[in-house]
Amino acid sequence: MTDCRPSPQLYPFSAIVGQDWMKLGLILNAVDPGVGGLLIRGEKGTAKSTAVRALASVLPELDVAAGCPYSCDPSDDLEICGSCRGATVATRTRRVRVVDLPLNATEEMVVGGLDFSASIHEGIRVFQPGLLARANRGILYIDEVNLLSDHLVDVILDVSASGENVVQREGISHRHPARFILVGTMNPEEGELRPQLLDRFGLCVAVRGEENVASRAEVLRRRDEFDRDPNAFRLRFEPEDRALAEKISRARERLPEVRFPRDLDGLIAQVCVDANVAGHRADIVISHAAAALAAFEGHREVSRRDVLRVAALALRHRSRQRALAHDPTVETSAYQSIPQRSEPRHHPDEYPEESPIRVPVREATGEEIEVSPTARLIPRTDYPEAIFEIGPTFAVREIGHRRDKLFRQASGKRTRTPTNHKKGRYVRSTARRLNDDVALDATIRAAAPHQLTRQRENGLMVAIRDEDIREKLRETQTGNFLLFIVDASGSMGAKGRMVASKGAIMSLLKDAYQKRDRVAMVSFRKQEAVVNLPPTSSIHRATELLKELPVGGKTPLAAGLRKGQGVVRNVLLKDPACRPILIIITDGKANESIGNGDPFWEALSAAKGLASDSRIKSIVVDVEEQGGFRYNFSARLAKILRAEYFRIKDLRADVLVEIVRKGV
Amino acid sequence: MANLPLYPFAAIVGQDTLKLALILNIIDPTIGGVLIRGEKGTAKSTAVRGIADILPMMEVVENCPFQMPDRNTCSVCGNGTDSLCSGAAPTAAVPARKTRKISVVELPLGATEDRLVGTLNIEHALKTGEKKFEPGILAQAHRGILYVDEVNLLDDHLVDVLLDSAAMGLNIVEREGVSFAHPARFTLVGTMNPEEGELRPQLLDRFGLCVNIEGIRDAQARVEIMERRLQFDKDPRKFSDDWSAESARISRQIQSAQIRCGKVTAETSILEQIATACLKLGVDGHRADIATLKTARALAAYQGRTQVRPEDVAVAAELALPHRVRRTPFDAVATEVTAEIRRVVSVDRLRQ
Repeated sequence: MTDCRPSPQLYPFSAIVGQDWMKLGLILNAVDPGVGGLLIRGEKGTAKSTAVRALASVLPELDVAAGCPYSCDPSDDLEICGSCRGATVATRTRRVRVVDLPLNATEEMVVGGLDFSASIHEGIRVFQPGLLARANRGILYIDEVNLLSDHLVDVILDVSASGENVVQREGISHRHPARFILVGTMNPEEGELRPQLLDRFGLCVAVRGEENVASRAEVLRRRDEFDRDPNAFRLRFEPEDRALAEKISRARERLPEVRFPRDLDGLIAQVCVDANVAGHRADIVISHAAAALAAFEGHREVSRRDVLRVAALALRHRSRQRALAHDPTVETSAYQSIPQRSEPRHHPDEYPEESPIRVPVREATGEEIEVSPTARLIPRTDYPEAIFEIGPTFAVREIGHRRDKLFRQASGKRTRTPTNHKKGRYVRSTARRLNDDVALDATIRAAAPHQLTRQRENGLMVAIRDEDIREKLRETQTGNFLLFIVDASGSMGAKGRMVASKGAIMSLLKDAYQKRDRVAMVSFRKQEAVVNLPPTSSIHRATELLKELPVGGKTPLAAGLRKGQGVVRNVLLKDPACRPILIIITDGKANESIGNGDPFWEALSAAKGLASDSRIKSIVVDVEEQGGFRYNFSARLAKILRAEYFRIKDLRADVLVEIVRKGV
Repeated sequence: MANLPLYPFAAIVGQDTLKLALILNIIDPTIGGVLIRGEKGTAKSTAVRGIADILPMMEVVENCPFQMPDRNTCSVCGNGTDSLCSGAAPTAAVPARKTRKISVVELPLGATEDRLVGTLNIEHALKTGEKKFEPGILAQAHRGILYVDEVNLLDDHLVDVLLDSAAMGLNIVEREGVSFAHPARFTLVGTMNPEEGELRPQLLDRFGLCVNIEGIRDAQARVEIMERRLQFDKDPRKFSDDWSAESARISRQIQSAQIRCGKVTAETSILEQIATACLKLGVDGHRADIATLKTARALAAYQGRTQVRPEDVAVAAELALPHRVRRTPFDAVATEVTAEIRRVVSVDRLRQ
């Protein structure tokens, strides 16, 4: 297709300083596409995209059928599209393509759909190949893959698993081969990928910036040179790029002859079992990748070392706890022990040993926060007033409303919901008439095949009837509104409850950031409840406040609930479709009343008021310790509120997984 | 549209860092834009809009919706036959070219995704039954400045799309029946009031420079601001004319710096100074290093030199690093960071 794409100014692959694991991952895929793609996780500005785009120039050339939209291999009788089968087609050689999947893509452009201009003129339904067709036998590259709409992710998963794209839409029935190397990049700060999609990537590497001055300066020097004179720079690195291209090409030829000793099967199985991976894809990926590595290094036989080296790449994202915990903080390296256990490395300096398994310092901050409940104690007679530190944070389990059919007007990621405001990402079209958000492209496609038989007016080429009208189905992921109602009474200061609570709130806030939620915070202590933080999307302010939240005094639980109800009522007035989530963190020991009644009964009656509104979902987090004598006030409160009831430890995503697994 | 003059850039009182950051970005557009953070009413938007005054000229193909410098760079006009391009696509062998000022294109908060990236040209589709691409705001902004006021309030999915093309310098459209790509290299300028919420780190990192501005505390300067504003409101045209000489002076200075910038050299010790500072401050990735170097170079050029000095790096670091110092997504861009940067960079200078 003709467009204004400038001739690409690609940074040469060999000019990338360091990042050896990432380069290795890409090369292994280039040698054997059966390795199954690569996911590159890492911080901003670490040559992730640069490397992927540059890869095309070191890949061997490809024989394709001239003019075939699916780039069929003329010599392959099995994997060939309908139009090339049986026909004599001219062969043309070209470089492997890197096809970009932009975040703005709509579904029919990815899988293919009806070509309306051809259909109008010919009066029949003509298929227009999509991105998946273009990616056949090439590389499908998704930058920021974790931000792609879930819907598209599902579609791509499906095709990448089967190697064939089956289109049944808009009156078209079509299938074509779609085998591609799936390469994705992502910054884990922006949210995790679903485990299912994670598993679909053969290999996974983590990248981070260079850490010594000399190589950092070298990165800088090269980039600067490239920016100033790209052509001269490319010329300088051309010999190296060409040598690498040849090496890959030779490796491809050698690959079928690389022997795979039987006893290595046992090693692979052992490594996978040790890492506690789900399913068998890891085993297959490792054997492919190890063979590719052997071929690339010119060996005729796969060695133990090959297996162990690629195992790190294949297991990083598959280890079970890791895949389910969607917070990088818990991303410890489960397989770190493997190489040491099985065999010492022969060439420890050949590849930077640690790089794929290092957890960036920033991501680990949660673990580094000390648990010390004795912070800045200000002595008081009745209850000590104190400010406690934030306890350790963790990945939180899913909390939220079910996906529903209600129309909302917020942006965020917690609850998936269709929107009725002409906002949000246009994902697909529908023949249902909901509002006047007409999808003109889909409308024209629906009308196109009938044009030869229709009367056209006003000099238009397309006559549209009412039945052709299609509307846009948009999807935004609405953030919810989270209201934290925090018990800040003196009893919370005991036994590290507040430290743990702050840790839990912090974890929920982290989760809220990734899901683009709005938050507010109410705390209650002494005689009253105060709105510490009015509804805001600034998670930063919430964090600051949390740090400074003091503890001390009695427990006016009823006042806290009433105040919370007030905040929620205002939010609901502004946006009636909003579904607030109340998170009540307390030990439930109410001992201060608003009126003259029993404090706890007052609290329960306030809770009844909240429970009567079905739009509000409540969660009670009980901070009372287990064992010994328990009042279980919080559990009773949760029952009245019709709330989900958790102890702090139940909130953890990984713990939940454990419970589920034991249950099975 | 009535062409009322904007408040001239040259007439803004104080806010020197902000002005410098904008000027350096004009000198070298590859620095990657400016994020201006500050309270209400601190001339954030005025400065950005007023910058049109001092922008240099550039050559474009006439009527080209993608602001191409010449026709050879674009395959649409190049072969003319099945044009998806909505431009007039003249058939003359020699493209008509014209010189115009670099433009400031504003992205309104309520913009839809199809307006931003471009979409199917419906009118053309209905009239002829052919597909044609209708360029969006990103096409308009190519080679120019894309200005997002209140960038922290921009819809999430628009931010994603914006990041996508800012990263590649290319806008790839795969939607509504059109498949199209065109270059979209723009200087991203955003303003925000941090009280309303922070930006996502990923978007923060895309801004080359970051400036924190505050209202001016000096009483005399405040009086000056009021007086100038009153004069401007009374007779905008006259006010602009009064300042046109000053605007022209800045504009000339920028243009000569642009020419000089390509020749400015940086020694290895400078590169090491930058790398050391970035490592010490713990920034993510390498974009910070690159932005610092480019800023230092533009600064040297602006001051009429052809070699980067350590003090250029010190100034550049204060502009290029505050928003990149590693932190969790919910720490604010702290003001203390600036002090930290100053300390790290000056320590390096002492050592040399």
